[in-house]
Amino acid sequence: MEIGPYIKLHRIKQEMTQAELAEGIVSFAYLSKIENQKTEASSNVISLLCTRLGIQLNNETDETIRDKCQQWYEMLFEVNDKEKIINTYKELNSLMYEHHSDSLIMFEIHKIRYFLILGEFEEALTQINRLADMSGTFDSLHLFYWYKFKGNYNTAKNEFNQAMRMYKIAEEKLNQLELSEEKIADLLYTIAVTHSKLHNTLEAIEYSDKAIDIFRKQYNFIRCAQCHIVLGISYRRIRMYDKSIKNHNLAKHLGELSKNRQIIQLTNQNLGYLHSTKGDRKQAIHYYVEVLNDPEVELNARLTAVTSLIKEYYSIYDFDKTREMIDKGIELLDSMKNKESFKIHYYVINSYNYAIRQDNEKFETLVINEFIPYLQKHKDFANLVDYAKMLGRHFERLNKYKDSVKYYKLANVTYEELINL
Amino acid sequence: MKKLIATVSLGTLLVAGFLFSQEPAELASDLEPSVFSISHDSSLF
Repeated sequence: MEIGPYIKLHRIKQEMTQAELAEGIVSFAYLSKIENQKTEASSNVISLLCTRLGIQLNNETDETIRDKCQQWYEMLFEVNDKEKIINTYKELNSLMYEHHSDSLIMFEIHKIRYFLILGEFEEALTQINRLADMSGTFDSLHLFYWYKFKGNYNTAKNEFNQAMRMYKIAEEKLNQLELSEEKIADLLYTIAVTHSKLHNTLEAIEYSDKAIDIFRKQYNFIRCAQCHIVLGISYRRIRMYDKSIKNHNLAKHLGELSKNRQIIQLTNQNLGYLHSTKGDRKQAIHYYVEVLNDPEVELNARLTAVTSLIKEYYSIYDFDKTREMIDKGIELLDSMKNKESFKIHYYVINSYNYAIRQDNEKFETLVINEFIPYLQKHKDFANLVDYAKMLGRHFERLNKYKDSVKYYKLANVTYEELINL
Repeated sequence: MKKLIATVSLGTLLVAGFLFSQEPAELASDLEPSVFSISHDSSLF
């Protein structure tokens, strides 16, 4: 990395103004020129500025930092021990503060991904904003990761359209770079998942197939399994059920080979949903219960299983079981740290909770004022149809026909949007 | 008025029935795998 942007980055990190850093060394206008690579300063000036920033200039250490960074970046893409990632991060962070390293910009960009996998979304956003000013000095490789991780941030915030825009820009950079197949496959897989989230079924299949070809060659069983799950979801959406089940079973098999409970239960969840859509509620419940009863499964998957079971039991009028699942759902929600990411589950569980208790006022307030606007904002047409219909039925039962028609209409219009996707 | 509401309701139900028979169900979200790595805790690993 050039010394000018490097000095600028350190100065910003230490919250110093140009005047503070330049004082007694150069004029702040000259410092601005150095930072923006408009002039080449003497080594004496650079040395003085670095000393004020507390940075050492040493090439040997830079090699060590580069290797360590590489190891850390790889940790962010594999199944890894969280503690190890955090400790390596702390070590690198202090090394970066003390030495001039070419790896600094790349390290700063990877921090976005680091904060995201730790679930620290605010930190990730702060990091994005901090780097935004510098992005004009990024090279193609920097830009590839910059857009990819910004997309990751949008994914984490459920902003899938924006995420797709970012991933597509990252994909365009691939032509200018010589990245390893593994890194290309990771982006293709990420795009496949995002297409699936956006219900772009054919594109999800196309990108999953491309990614799986590479992961298969590398014996990356977990990523292969994840691609098969995306394929399973996609084929179900176009009602190719046999192909969907085949892909889910392949994913499950790979999950068993890798002893990965998350993969196995993710497959069960989607198989449950497949049977639910086919109207085989007994089989659907069987798969959902498997997910729910696995203590190792991550919270999001358990919550999804609970909300799915609430809907299944409610639809077959098994209200005792519905209540049991609602209680379980509330209990799970209470134990969550990142409540905002699980808002949808909160709305589903509470909508059914108020519906089953026939607490009409709370039901209407929640669904009309909060849940439906939330679904509209997130363009979640699938759930919007469901809950608009639920409201329609609710008002119909209360003989409030005008309101009833309003929500049946909303369900219809939304359904049309959904099938036109 | 009642007649109008009944007609609209019936029409709506018929259209919904037709649509739902075209595409059996897309009434909730599927659960896609994460774009991040996988681990055994509740974060996004």
